Amino acid sequence: MEREGRNVDTPTAEALVSAFERGAVSRREFLSRAGLLGLTAAGAGALADAAAPARARAQTTQKREVVVAQGGDVSKFDPHFSTSSNDIRVSFNVFDNLTSRHPDQKVYPGLATEWKATGPTTWTFKLRQGVKWHNGDPFTSADAKFSLERTFDPAAKTMVATVFTTIDRIEAPDPYTLVVHTKKSDPLLPDRLAFYGGQIVPKKVLEDVGPDTFNTKPVGTGPLRLSSWTKDDKAVFEAYPDYWGGKIDADRIVFRPIPETAPRVAALLKGEVDAITQLPSDHWDRVNQSPTTRGVGALYAGLYCLGINAKNPPLNNELVRKAMALAVDRESIVKEMYRGRAIVPNGPIAQGDRHYDTSLPPLRFDPNEARELVKKSGYKNEPIIIETTIGYVAQDKAMSEAIASMWKDVGLNAAVEVVEYSVRAEKNRNRTFKGLWWTDPTSTLRDPDGMMWRLLSPNGPQDYFRDPEWDELGNAARFSLDEKFRGEAYRKMTKIMLDKAFGWVIIMQPYEDYGLQKHLEFTPNPNQQFEVRRFNLKLRRA
Amino acid sequence: MRGFGGFLAYRLFRTLVALWLVSTVVFVVMRLSGDPVPLLLPPDAPIAEMERVRRDLGLDRSLPVQYGVFLANVVRGDFGRSIHFRQPAMEVARSYLRATFELGLVAFAVALIVAFPIGVLSAVRRNSLLDHATMAVALVGQSAPTFFIGILLILILALRFDLFPTSGRGDWRHLVLPALTLGAFTMASIARITRSAVLEVLRADFVRTARAKGVSELWVVTKHTLRNAALPILTITGLQFGTLLGGAVVTETVFAWPGIGRLAIQSIYNRDYPVVQSTVFIAAVLFIATNLLLDVLYGILDPRARA
Repeated sequence: MEREGRNVDTPTAEALVSAFERGAVSRREFLSRAGLLGLTAAGAGALADAAAPARARAQTTQKREVVVAQGGDVSKFDPHFSTSSNDIRVSFNVFDNLTSRHPDQKVYPGLATEWKATGPTTWTFKLRQGVKWHNGDPFTSADAKFSLERTFDPAAKTMVATVFTTIDRIEAPDPYTLVVHTKKSDPLLPDRLAFYGGQIVPKKVLEDVGPDTFNTKPVGTGPLRLSSWTKDDKAVFEAYPDYWGGKIDADRIVFRPIPETAPRVAALLKGEVDAITQLPSDHWDRVNQSPTTRGVGALYAGLYCLGINAKNPPLNNELVRKAMALAVDRESIVKEMYRGRAIVPNGPIAQGDRHYDTSLPPLRFDPNEARELVKKSGYKNEPIIIETTIGYVAQDKAMSEAIASMWKDVGLNAAVEVVEYSVRAEKNRNRTFKGLWWTDPTSTLRDPDGMMWRLLSPNGPQDYFRDPEWDELGNAARFSLDEKFRGEAYRKMTKIMLDKAFGWVIIMQPYEDYGLQKHLEFTPNPNQQFEVRRFNLKLRRA
Repeated sequence: MRGFGGFLAYRLFRTLVALWLVSTVVFVVMRLSGDPVPLLLPPDAPIAEMERVRRDLGLDRSLPVQYGVFLANVVRGDFGRSIHFRQPAMEVARSYLRATFELGLVAFAVALIVAFPIGVLSAVRRNSLLDHATMAVALVGQSAPTFFIGILLILILALRFDLFPTSGRGDWRHLVLPALTLGAFTMASIARITRSAVLEVLRADFVRTARAKGVSELWVVTKHTLRNAALPILTITGLQFGTLLGGAVVTETVFAWPGIGRLAIQSIYNRDYPVVQSTVFIAAVLFIATNLLLDVLYGILDPRARA
């Protein structure tokens, strides 16, 4: 996915603030837009300064409760009805998947203890025994079959109907065995099962109470059981004592929405909350300087890019596209705008993904060569439009302005236009972007198939350019069980993509940063899951 | 008197027309400005899947048909189901009302209790230090953006002096900062208008007459002046109540207060049409009801208005 889920949050304001601070936005523009957003920005920096004299507290705790502040509230508890980040941070802890992707990005057993391909189009899963739903019922293969079939059942009308399109049919020969037949070979099925859509829901409860009640009173097998929910205030979960993986290291976890960045950081610095999500890079140092808090980050499972609509001139000109890629000073953007909380990628495969090529150098910055290419291209000064949002990715507008000026430097007529979130979503769906737009492709499977192929393949959501050889390789890699062959295919696809400069102007791979109280031991997950299970969340006690 | 029943029936009719107009504008603007479906589905969902969801939500029908269905349902009190929450929209909106009332009423009460005496005192002691000081503060209160005041209060009172929580809803301490923030503008406007209204009346002939008769200054102010100054103050106060609803959007976002203002803004971002309709409907009803109440109060305070 691109993380469209972010759209359900109030747009973050930090992009606007920093643009203002640098003079990129006029005061009037700032105030009017800030008013619209309900922005709390003016004192964002000063806010954290005020907290500096905060009393040094012990770095251990007696607390049995962990409060997590995120940018928006949970919207639904039924895991098959949302892919938004604020929802999946919660739903992956209320429910279990058959397979589980840990913060180290490897796939571990979940409700399935082992699995193997028992034929070219057959996967067989052994299911965990003795697992109980939050209401005490036993978990069996009937639940697993029901859950996966429910995702694509037209009558269920879920929002994850496209996740398991490779599945042909599912059998449950005994209570602890599940056999999944796929239409063609699907080497990535265990990976798919670990992410959204793969959460297992209780068949009996859903059939008894119906989806509406289930959505407000979820019953899962996960380590958290819903205790109470006050919309937009707090969602309180108690630790499920009979969790098969062991009760978590706290009695309660509370998720609170604090939409604006500055109050969210303030709440952390003051000790009102134990963890915050989406810590912006300009607060990173302050959170680390406070005696009681620290920042932790994981390299995001994906990239920040400018998508290219290569159908319209001048972006249908390969030389122009290559010049654009060469003219972006990524090093400076990472250093100045992200304060080092990102890395410069070396191609369309994110670091940490399967088949990431460590031998490739970071993407090149060469304005002279770019200037030459522009001259050679026959470019006739047509406008190149970046349609940016404010806060879809952190600093998007400011980065757009910086990149536009880098392109102007090499002789390209670049301009920035601002669009609103839902307009962006609509243009994305209809594929009607004028030229370039911010996109944050997520590697949903930690494999290029779940990122570049999912988004850029024929009829994919970002299908703006076709190359027959690239298409053939992507298609072959999708259905091959031979990892060596797949690796070779993705190496070739990377080369073609960089040579022809289509798809994305790749900008950076940022860190997903969190702010934590020092008494909390927690490793963030690069794909926006928020793992509270025993192996990942601990409270240091005196 | 034209008959209170007739007056009420006429006002009720006007109220219904106003509500219909507001709903229609919101209906058209929301639908023309964006589509909720791409925000609901993963972005790699194929067009067919988008179409399927649009059909389920009834968004595939033509605008006039959707409008007809919407009106027919609203007349029956059905505002549809929230696209985002998958629950009845009006129920969702109503569940947020309590928090906003709590905040709004406290903010309003604080504003009135502080602003009214200050305004009167400033007028009576015109050009004194007190007058200059309070009016300077009021000017700041009226011109500083709400988010700025909010962040300033968090900065000083919550972080530096550790007096109140930074955000969220809970006991009375959670109410203080958002109520001050939300009430700041109202407080400033009421203080300023009270001052000028009282000043105006103090210059009137009948006040001079009263003073000439030897009536005590306290009596002049409380009995003769305030009653006559009440009308403009009441008007502004009533209008401010509406502004308070608007201010709640910003204040509730800054302080993570789970109120209807924040719900409204989020629902607009999500293109959650039914919830936007419900919140706007509630806001319009409140605003119109306030105005109606004001008209009645006018009649009580000013015998001329009853004629």
